[in-house]
Amino acid sequence: MKIGLLICALTLTAVALVAAAPVARIQSILAKPEVLCGRFDQTKRLVGLKRPVTSNGRFCVLADKGVLWRSLQPFSTTLRLTRDQIVQMQGQRVTQRLDARREPAVQMIHDVFFALLAGDLGQLEKFFVVEGDVHEKSWSVTLKAREPGLAQAISGIALEGGVFVKSIAIDETNGDRTKIVFSAIQTGAGAITAEEAALF
Amino acid sequence: MNRRNLLAWVWGVIVCLLLAHSAYLLMSDRLAPDTDILALLPVQERDPVLQKAVTHIVASTRQRLVVLVGADDWEQTRRAANAYHAVLAPHTELLRLDDRANSWQADESLVGRHRLILMTGSDERALKRQPESYWINFALSNLYSPFAGGKLAPWQDDPFGLFAAWMQARAGETRIRPRDGRLFVSEGRRQYVVMLFTLGVSAFSMSAQKTLMPLLEEAQQAARMAAPQGEVLKEGVILHAAAAGAQAQWEVSIIGAGSILGIAALIWLTFHSLKPIAWIMLSIGVGCLGALSLCWILFERIHLLTLVFGASLIGGAQDYGSYFLCNRLTAEGQKLDSRQLLRRLLPALTLALVTTVVGYLALALTPFPGLQQMAVFSALGLIFAWLSVICWFPALVRNGAVTSAPAVKWFEGSLWRWQSLRCRRRLLWAGSLFIVAAVFGLSRLDVQDDIRLLQSPPRHLIADQLQMSRLLAAPAPAQFYLVRGPTVEDLLQREEALKRRLDPLVEKQIIGGYHSMSDWVPSFQTQAARRSLIEKKLLDEDGALATLARRIGAGSQWVDSTRDRLRASGLALTPDEFLSTAASESVRHLWLGEVAGGHASIVALRGVSEANLLFLRRAASGLEGVQWVDTVEEISSVLGRYRRYMGWVIVLSYFAVYILLYSRYGGSAWRVLAPIALASAATLAVLGITGQSLQLFHVLALMLLLGVGVDYGIFFKDHPRRSDPVGWLSVGLSALSTLFSFGLLSLSKTPALQAFGLTMLIGTVAVCLIVPCFDYETQQKVGEPAPLAL
Repeated sequence: MKIGLLICALTLTAVALVAAAPVARIQSILAKPEVLCGRFDQTKRLVGLKRPVTSNGRFCVLADKGVLWRSLQPFSTTLRLTRDQIVQMQGQRVTQRLDARREPAVQMIHDVFFALLAGDLGQLEKFFVVEGDVHEKSWSVTLKAREPGLAQAISGIALEGGVFVKSIAIDETNGDRTKIVFSAIQTGAGAITAEEAALF
Repeated sequence: MNRRNLLAWVWGVIVCLLLAHSAYLLMSDRLAPDTDILALLPVQERDPVLQKAVTHIVASTRQRLVVLVGADDWEQTRRAANAYHAVLAPHTELLRLDDRANSWQADESLVGRHRLILMTGSDERALKRQPESYWINFALSNLYSPFAGGKLAPWQDDPFGLFAAWMQARAGETRIRPRDGRLFVSEGRRQYVVMLFTLGVSAFSMSAQKTLMPLLEEAQQAARMAAPQGEVLKEGVILHAAAAGAQAQWEVSIIGAGSILGIAALIWLTFHSLKPIAWIMLSIGVGCLGALSLCWILFERIHLLTLVFGASLIGGAQDYGSYFLCNRLTAEGQKLDSRQLLRRLLPALTLALVTTVVGYLALALTPFPGLQQMAVFSALGLIFAWLSVICWFPALVRNGAVTSAPAVKWFEGSLWRWQSLRCRRRLLWAGSLFIVAAVFGLSRLDVQDDIRLLQSPPRHLIADQLQMSRLLAAPAPAQFYLVRGPTVEDLLQREEALKRRLDPLVEKQIIGGYHSMSDWVPSFQTQAARRSLIEKKLLDEDGALATLARRIGAGSQWVDSTRDRLRASGLALTPDEFLSTAASESVRHLWLGEVAGGHASIVALRGVSEANLLFLRRAASGLEGVQWVDTVEEISSVLGRYRRYMGWVIVLSYFAVYILLYSRYGGSAWRVLAPIALASAATLAVLGITGQSLQLFHVLALMLLLGVGVDYGIFFKDHPRRSDPVGWLSVGLSALSTLFSFGLLSLSKTPALQAFGLTMLIGTVAVCLIVPCFDYETQQKVGEPAPLAL
């Protein structure tokens, strides 16, 4: 009887270890540069719209600072996320600003977005249930929101990557789908342009 | 049964009835005193709508307990919060956690049918002013934003982000957000779990306070164990009530026990016998019993502060008994029995009782229910103590029952140390010195009528409250606008007119923001205006929507279906429909509904401070049906008004008492009143010199000082010869016991009671010192020891 319990407990532990394994392995595969910039191509399929809406631009992830997301084609708009505020700009004009002092969710939005682009699964596990597979140097995971409010809007997020995150797919509960593919990724101080650095 | 003892027997039966009633109250647990601080405040009798608004706001917060558990990271915070809640969770009969984690999100059906008419004031202005291109760019930047998800409505249901901005504004009314099935706020690195508890027991029940407080302490310990660097903040009416209750209970026992011991010691020093102590305690006991019992019958509950104040009654209640006993001392030589003695003393005793009771009842003239209760309690106590002396003492105290102790001789001798008024040169000096000091003191006296006189919460509660009001940015409970209108539509339009005045204040960050029903349910007028604005600017044949469709390559079919869907979500919304949804939780307490033949509502404000009160008052001026309500200011103004009013009552009382005294003492009646008047001036001067601000409770105490001081004058006046020092002895005993009671009361933590006690303390000492100077017969005695200088 006692031995039976022991075996049972060991098996459960083993299962837990297997489940946790991909996150740790993926973390070990991922590079964690100070500065990460690249190109993104975004495709949105909206319910009721026959043609997908496509756009592209550049993004930068700066450790300890935040995220810069610049749509360039066909519509130019810049989004800057830090822990303190989220700012949307058209050219130099600020069109929307969310301040963490007024909106406590700003920090959370920043943390999630930052973790998605940096592939920080440890951070993402705070907000999502993470399941994944690893094949040598490439990996894929699916995320389900823990927060009921978020789960109401987003049915699932899929991430694919290797050393960096390669693509993000977001499924919304109403049927809208967004796919973002990253390419031309550069790291290090030279990755960010002077113009972009000035925006921080 | 002896006929002569009939009175004593009848009184005995009445006292037995009082005992039985008190025992019944004690057994049925109804004696538990009230701790509601608001019960002390005046009721707004003038305006039923305003009264309803105030009770509405009070009721919405009374049974609330808000607890914030915070630490520097979310995991620790959650652990601490779970530990905290685990201690309280089994006690569902005491309090329950409100798990409203999702209720801030608008109701699904509500959103679907009325989304189109819900927009912020600034977007409404932008719709009027901004060109179509502005809205097209706005829609496109929303479309291309990676944040499509997480918005409350799909992009196509709200392409121009009007509803999202409105929702953002509503969410911005509170800083509390759902997270991991809990509510949370953050400040800097600090993360807090917010727990909203609803009490299942009355916040003012002392037994509930006594069970809950240790539990909260235990929960706090558990949270500390789980997160040693964490902190726990709490706020709730029950915390204040419990603190005030514990404080007052402590004060009742200190004042009560201190006075009893002091008086027992005094009587021992005077008579060197236990019997007089027992007699005096008996009269005090019956006084307290009668006050408690009758007060409960009259008011159906007794406030704890009444008991604190009532404890000082002990000093006053002993006066009659000790006056009788002191006279018994001298009666021995005159072969009077107790009954004859009483007959001789009755006029003076009656006058003393009447003047003191009148002094107390002046408190009952104020509109403060708490003061009325204190006054009635004290007056009843005195009357019962007095009746006990009248009915029982003649039967109890036999001839030769009391003898004076050696200390009495010394005390009686001390009377000769007083200077009499006849020494003209010295009087001139003393008089001018007194006048200079009094004028100096009075000139330094300023006034204060702050509500904080009535309550003084412990510092840690105030600190928690300040921090929580910053963290949660909750609306102010004491200041708000009361809006009225004959119909719901008028009411909502008036709210909107008020908000148009408040918007600039919010923009300039003079106030944090406002809460109102019309934020959620605009008036029909506004709903119609918004619909036509959207039609014209966005949905028109060649409006923003059509251009937007071309930009994203969507066909006319998409334009038509989107337009239809948007129009379908623009149905008229009424407060009644909104109130039936869960989303209305946060504004329900603002909607008074149908009152006094019209409709009324409250517009609440965030970020109210001393500095912006003036702007807020001004914002309401000239608006029909809008009234600025500042309950703090209102109470302060009542306190101020009654301070002045009671001042005049005192002046009139001096005249009334003078007439009363004139009937007995004729032309020398002024000699009874003059010491009190001088003592009152001296008291005010001392207050001024020590930097205290004059407030209602000082003035009320001066009224009572008149009542008590007249006793001294009467006792003295009836024994004017210095060879007959009974008057002086009675005054001495009475004054010293008053000093015990009110001296201890002046140590109270409640500022009002402290002021009252302090005034009585200074005043009684002063009256006592001055009274012998107005004794005019001294100089006629020859061969007495020469009086010493004052």
